[in-house]
Amino acid sequence: MFSTLNIRIGFFLAKRQIKRSSLWTTVLIIFVMFFTFLNLVVVTGILIGLLQGAIDAVRNHYTSDVIISSLNNKTYIENSPEVIRIVKSIPEVEAISSRYSEGGTLEANYKTRTNEKEKPNIASTTIVGIDPMAENKVTDLSKFVIEGEYLSPGDYDQILIGAFLSKKYLDFDYPGFSALRDVGPGIKVRMNIKGIEREVTIKGVIKSKVDQIDMGVFMIDSQLRSMIGRNDYNIDEVAIKLKKGADPVLVRDTLKQNGVSQVAKVQTYADAQPKFIKDMIDTFTILANALSSIGLVVASITIFIVIFINAITRRKFIGILKGIGISESAIEISYILQSFFYAFCGSIIGIIVLYAFLQPYMAANPINFPFSDGILVAPIGGTLMRVGLLVITTIIAGFIPARLVVRKNTLDSILGRN
Amino acid sequence: MIEVKNLKKSFKDGENRVAVLKGIDLSVKNGEFVAIMGRSGAGKSTLLYQMSLLDEPTSGEILIDEKNTIKFSINEKTLFRLSKLGYVFQDYALLPEMTALENVALPLLMQDFSEKKAYEKATEHLILVGLGERLNNLPSQLSGGEQQRVSIARAIAHEPKILFADEPTANLDNESSRIIMNIFKELHAEGQTIIMVTHELEYSKFAQRIVHLDDGKIVSIENN
Repeated sequence: MFSTLNIRIGFFLAKRQIKRSSLWTTVLIIFVMFFTFLNLVVVTGILIGLLQGAIDAVRNHYTSDVIISSLNNKTYIENSPEVIRIVKSIPEVEAISSRYSEGGTLEANYKTRTNEKEKPNIASTTIVGIDPMAENKVTDLSKFVIEGEYLSPGDYDQILIGAFLSKKYLDFDYPGFSALRDVGPGIKVRMNIKGIEREVTIKGVIKSKVDQIDMGVFMIDSQLRSMIGRNDYNIDEVAIKLKKGADPVLVRDTLKQNGVSQVAKVQTYADAQPKFIKDMIDTFTILANALSSIGLVVASITIFIVIFINAITRRKFIGILKGIGISESAIEISYILQSFFYAFCGSIIGIIVLYAFLQPYMAANPINFPFSDGILVAPIGGTLMRVGLLVITTIIAGFIPARLVVRKNTLDSILGRN
Repeated sequence: MIEVKNLKKSFKDGENRVAVLKGIDLSVKNGEFVAIMGRSGAGKSTLLYQMSLLDEPTSGEILIDEKNTIKFSINEKTLFRLSKLGYVFQDYALLPEMTALENVALPLLMQDFSEKKAYEKATEHLILVGLGERLNNLPSQLSGGEQQRVSIARAIAHEPKILFADEPTANLDNESSRIIMNIFKELHAEGQTIIMVTHELEYSKFAQRIVHLDDGKIVSIENN
């Protein structure tokens, strides 16, 4: 079927049909293919991007590129000063933030509570001790202050609270968790860590799209250290920001080779992702593929109809072509090439719009989903694979009706007989 | 040489079969010009379609240069039509999206001529039928007579053994019809075998023999 001669004649026929067909019809078909392409790539890209946004947020604002945390059977990282020394000796490391963390509670309105039977305005949380400057270098935490101010070194008895600890931002309770009423910058609250109480002032409220931040409390590391009696400088976790282009896997492996894994868990941001995120990525990928399949079916039906109508209305001319000795294969190839042309043009325009406008625009203006800043994820490899799928589907959808019409009796076609 | 032996053709009409050709025997020698005449429904065009391999007879034999074409596969018939036969249809049957030149060049390209050679040959034949100035016009930009001349140029450009014409002047005015018939006359003078269906007595006189059909049978053959 695909002899050089048939392809040459098929190309000759297809070129002239496209060239002399109605411009508006051609534009409309290419437009349909363009939107099909967007449906295939953008819907998938946004679904994946929604999770990618969440992953990026955790990476950029909590774990950073590599995170070292205490082993499951330890309450802190033993021999932390040596671990930090090793981390700092790695050339790819740009900045680090050492953190202490301890479970505790915050109680508000305790001074106005007169009745013992009145439910206390209390919330359980994780209290994280940080060096505000180092933390900000690694995670940009100050960017998320929505009320009050960020911590400064020496801000003793002052804390930042995550927005979800305030009913103002999370107005519901669920078992094991309740937010505080009437709290905000300047309000004093009572902090309780392992029975040690201290009255602290809320300096600011932070809100991001990372739960560890939005449900936590941040205070100066030295104060938390003294409250929990951690005089050996052993910390709970270290977030490590790498220089641009550095490979987190390589740094993780270097740390492991230097013995850090014997006293702590060493994970890249990807390793540290909760399992549900990984499950959701798999789920969304399946969902996106299902939606893409529907898009492909719609595209193939569109092309089928277009080519079928074209072939039916040109049945007489197909008969004439056969009558003057043009092979059926050459005629079929001409329709395959027309389908290819429509799919190819639609995809090329789609690729230009995607990479020149949509992706950069969405990277600069992410969609504000409740739990992530959704971006558009469209890796070149995946996009080209989808273009291939679209082209193949379109070619098949164009070939079938062409074959149905071409195989009809030559004379019946010429005379318009059924 | 084309030889038709006991050729029959019938069509299904609901439950019944309608016989259109009822056992035709005819032979046409190389270089001969034969006109087929008869009243409407006599079976003239049907006979032409069978002889030109555009349709399949119900029974009988069609031998062209001693080859029994009835046994040809669809692809063999297509190839045979491409290389040995030429057609001039009543309604010109040009491809609307192609210029006069492209319409004529297409069968040549299918015969694996290079594009340059095909266009040269097509130009030559369009000049021959008096359309040297209209090479790049689309069919819609040509008159009926001009379109029929393009159709003739397409039919003869690949130098077919037999030229079939199905009422080539039926849609044309007298002036255009005369031009077309003069082209046929010249082609025949150069040795081209022509089999033409016509209902116009005036033009049947251009042929050497006139085959009269009635009710699916040859009723007479007249020599001019």
